Amino acid sequence: MAMQPHSKKRVCYYYDSDIGNYYYGQGHPMKPHRIRMTHNLLLNYGLYRKMEIYRPHKATAEEMTKFHSDDYIRFLRSIRPDNMSEYNKQMQRFNVGEDCPVFDGLYEFCQLSAGGSVAAAVKLNKQASDICINWGGGLHHAKKSEASASGFCYVNDIVLGILELLKYHQRVLYIDIDVHHGDGVEEAFYTTDRVMTVSFHKYGEYFPGTGDLRDIGAGKGKYYAVNIPLRDGMDDESYESIFVPIISKVMETFQPSAVVHQCGADSLTGDRLGCFNLTVRGHGKCVEFVKKYNLPFMMVGGGGYTIRNVSRAWTYETSVALGVEIANELPYNDYFEYFGPDFKLHISPSNMANQNTTEYLEKIKTRLFENLRMLPHAPGVQVQTIPEDAINEESDNEDKIDKDERLPQKDLDKRIAPDNEFSDSEDEGEGGRRDHRSYKGRKRPRLEKGNENKESGDKKHIKDELKSEKGEDKEDSKSIAESESKDTGPLP
Amino acid sequence: MVLSAKTGEDTRNGRRSRGPSPNGHAQADSSDDENTVPVDKIRVGRDYQAVCPEIIPEPLRKPELVADRALLVWSPTTDIPDSKLEDYITLAKEKYGYNGEQALGMLFWHKHDLERAVLDLANFTPFPDEWSVEDKVLFEQAFQFHGKSFHRIRQMLPDKSIASLVKYYYSWKKTRSRTSLMDKQARKLSTPREDGAPSEAGSEGGSNEESDHEEKKWNVHRGIRRSSGSPPRTKSSDENGKQGEGGACSNCGVNCTVTHTTPKGIMCTSCFQHWRRTGTLRPTSGPTGGKRGTPLGVRHKRKPPRGMYINHDDLAAFATGNAGAIMLKAMDREVESLQRQIQQNKQVVSSLKRKHSDSIEDLRPNNDNASSRINSRWTNEELLLAVQGVRKYGKDFKSIAEVLGNKTEHHVRTFFVNYRKRYNLDNVLKDYERDNGPTLNEDGNTGTTAAMATNDDKIIEVIDDANENGDVICVSPTPKKETTKGAKTTPPALVQNAK
Repeated sequence: MAMQPHSKKRVCYYYDSDIGNYYYGQGHPMKPHRIRMTHNLLLNYGLYRKMEIYRPHKATAEEMTKFHSDDYIRFLRSIRPDNMSEYNKQMQRFNVGEDCPVFDGLYEFCQLSAGGSVAAAVKLNKQASDICINWGGGLHHAKKSEASASGFCYVNDIVLGILELLKYHQRVLYIDIDVHHGDGVEEAFYTTDRVMTVSFHKYGEYFPGTGDLRDIGAGKGKYYAVNIPLRDGMDDESYESIFVPIISKVMETFQPSAVVHQCGADSLTGDRLGCFNLTVRGHGKCVEFVKKYNLPFMMVGGGGYTIRNVSRAWTYETSVALGVEIANELPYNDYFEYFGPDFKLHISPSNMANQNTTEYLEKIKTRLFENLRMLPHAPGVQVQTIPEDAINEESDNEDKIDKDERLPQKDLDKRIAPDNEFSDSEDEGEGGRRDHRSYKGRKRPRLEKGNENKESGDKKHIKDELKSEKGEDKEDSKSIAESESKDTGPLP
Repeated sequence: MVLSAKTGEDTRNGRRSRGPSPNGHAQADSSDDENTVPVDKIRVGRDYQAVCPEIIPEPLRKPELVADRALLVWSPTTDIPDSKLEDYITLAKEKYGYNGEQALGMLFWHKHDLERAVLDLANFTPFPDEWSVEDKVLFEQAFQFHGKSFHRIRQMLPDKSIASLVKYYYSWKKTRSRTSLMDKQARKLSTPREDGAPSEAGSEGGSNEESDHEEKKWNVHRGIRRSSGSPPRTKSSDENGKQGEGGACSNCGVNCTVTHTTPKGIMCTSCFQHWRRTGTLRPTSGPTGGKRGTPLGVRHKRKPPRGMYINHDDLAAFATGNAGAIMLKAMDREVESLQRQIQQNKQVVSSLKRKHSDSIEDLRPNNDNASSRINSRWTNEELLLAVQGVRKYGKDFKSIAEVLGNKTEHHVRTFFVNYRKRYNLDNVLKDYERDNGPTLNEDGNTGTTAAMATNDDKIIEVIDDANENGDVICVSPTPKKETTKGAKTTPPALVQNAK
């Protein structure tokens, strides 16, 4: 991956002026207004005029059901504060009510947030932009169908965006620097090797409870979920000391062709819900680092509950994306009074103790590096370990893949074991998943390609790879079906 | 997150303890449609994973056919220099009441043709603030009553959408947050002593008929507005004994004709009604009166400046008349543009400061250059300079070293000893003393020389009677002042003595 210092990028920014008007409810920490504050700050800093500004369309139900279940989206569309009582059962089923209240304009809010991320992905696919920003997105907790709404998120715009990117990109990297685990995105792509999810989050007695170091993906997606569990009080220095090596390694081994970065700002110091101690600068450094890889780059928002700091961080990160320096003194803006008493862009960390010792971080890093070494891309893996696949790939590449022969994805889905297929982990060592197909992940014929990629990285190449992927997909799904029929009993 | 932490604490703890691997329980979850427990494991199965689309092979891609699915409202241009754009925006803002976004939108509409955009500005007026004064007052009242339940507030303002209410709330909140501090103060003060509840002006109830005298008294006795719980009354109470006539409200501090006596003190109609409805003191904004005994300080600032009185008639005019609204709007705009300028200036100042501090290092003469490196060898030029230095600074070796740049204080000191005879430095020093010793130092040098100047007598003494060991200076009777100096002059003695 060629790392280049900052170059001027074409930046597209997605914003709907209505988004700040949605209100989760009295006392609810999630405030869409922060997106408007960010927008206003951008405008008054003069950053607005340096980007293409788009007003996203409202994502249609059809678009949202690319990930979510029809039931769920239908439910979201019909529920209103005044008819809630008729939907008691569904509200329970979809986990709507407490953390995720029904509020006025809920569905539109989801449409705008998802619309922005989908449009951003389309833009990147068209190569009409280098960086796309949707601060209204980043709702990483939302799940596909059961208990879908979670942690203030209803529709997972990130997943929808990534699905769009996957049409043109073989591998997409997802990075999550929210203080909470990006469980919705991780779950959505838990069994695929085309999306690697990397989440840095507080772990241990903390929402949503997932994100253990040992959760590494399942099936074909084994080793394609990377979790960095952290303790309270992460400061800029510690964060960088773990973020940079991990992301470097991930870039090196996974070699994504597009990156989605969730910039949840609840990892900032003084957040109402968070417990990290990052400054705006430290938070922005992550963006800066990822940007240097010069890959198609999508930045989305996420958490962030001390809204003045959220808008500070996202403004700064927009300036980073643009490669423009902005003054520390905030310009006068519509919400100027929110930024008192200092009216500065940058914030200072608190004196809270950092419970992440260097040793702890080192330990995590070592463990994760071990996992990453298992990726077929990793230079450490011997070529001999995957001879069959290499052959397979060739034959596949020839012409054996007949599109029509392949099962429609729908059918394949049906053959995926529904629920407990990979999950009965009691019989495994600690944390490990029972995974019948884990070897598949390593069988992938990407090693040689990977090496080539490093040199050329051009699209023709990717195309080749795509073909081979397809062939493999087919095989893999068959094997899923097989293993399913063999190993998993019917559900109770 | 916090919410769920609150509500689902036990459940989660329970689940946590079940095992380190979070995805061992998919079964329970999926089999039960009514399961309300938020998941805390990654589930695997067709209900949970996204279906990745196949990648479209390159030849089949038709990106140009894919709709953008977003409306472009602005694209950057390099044709217009930043300053011009800035001027244009300012014009649109101040003359036509656009906001920055609208101004740019107009420019974009005209395909970045600045002139046409400027001409067109007048043809459109952005939506006027659809919030009338009545709306605002209503909102405030509704808010006092219902808090942030916008549904309820909407019942009082049926023509406003929730979105509009939320939007207004956020822009209104900042102005209120100023007062919320006072609310806090008010609560704090009212708890220990009911009688002297802090007063703040700004009530809209009651008219102002009080004598000028009263008002002045209020102003003169800034800290002490009222001696006890009974506020000054101009007339006795009437009818039911609850209503008084005239006097100042103990809550908002505004003098008014009709007052109500409550356990919390005398109140104006607005405060009284608020108190009766909610049982709390009406939060008020505006300048406070003080309370006896509280030190003047922070609260002091919240009073109107000397010579400025709060007159209810004016307030009423502002609140009701249209002229007031217009006037206020103009003032608001002015304040805003001034604040904008302030922030801009601050930005300029800080950027200049940074530039300054960045580049000053380069401009500093002896910095990091090869020539500036400390070098103990003396060139002829440096020797001459050093002699002149002695002439100018006497035995302030440090200053001399600084002027030379590439010598340490120690080097200069050695030079002084070694070359004393050769350059007749004693004479030079005498010259220096003649000029600088008895007279005040006209160089106005800081620190050392200043100290020298103040203690010149001593220094002269010292230097006079002990040229050889001019170090006795530490005996100086004013050690405190001497310390800086002493530190500089004592070491040479040691060095000299040692030699």
